[in-house]
Amino acid sequence: MIRIDSFATKVALSFAMVAAAALAQAADIEKGRAKADQVCAACHGKDGNTPIDPSYPKLAGQAADYLYFALRDYRSEARKNAIMAGMAKPLTDADMKNLAAYYASLPGSLRIKP
Amino acid sequence: MITRLIAASVLAAASSIAFAQGDASAAKAKVAMCVGCHEIPGYKASFPTVYSVPKISGQSAKYLESALVAYRKGDRSHPTMRAIAGSLSDQDIADIAAYYGSK
Repeated sequence: MIRIDSFATKVALSFAMVAAAALAQAADIEKGRAKADQVCAACHGKDGNTPIDPSYPKLAGQAADYLYFALRDYRSEARKNAIMAGMAKPLTDADMKNLAAYYASLPGSLRIKP
Repeated sequence: MITRLIAASVLAAASSIAFAQGDASAAKAKVAMCVGCHEIPGYKASFPTVYSVPKISGQSAKYLESALVAYRKGDRSHPTMRAIAGSLSDQDIADIAAYYGSK
């Protein structure tokens, strides 16, 4: 049993909980996982790290903001790819943020240094 | 004899038009322009929109190759990457993809 006595600790904890709630609202990893399993997993792999074709990218561990902008560009066709346009067009902004947060959260083989 | 010569020259021609084979060691002289963004942890490109550059080490080599070809062709709009990819030959792209990518 942990007892929280100090007023300062209580204040800090409630701030932390509010901040965590705000982050969860910004992107929902669980909703991202559900959407990913329906839409993305068949080609990019269920773990996001084992695409079915070597010309498809690994997504696991990729930067979330990069994934979000890539999806937006596929939807607007600023990035032209027939397959990904078809996948991205039905997605809402919220779907894209959730998917990006989900894939960024997965462990994978992507890294900064070669 | 003549048939053999013809066969040999057909083979030689076929291998020269095959896809550029990536050579990771040859890429070492070519990746200077990649390193400054893609090898900096947490680096964000600031134009036209601020967001992280992608992690490319460990990515599928074939994907890296097709992404660079798409930037060079204009199928991807990012201005910095279009300029960089525009300066690369097929061989450069294959070498860089082999250097950063996995098989």
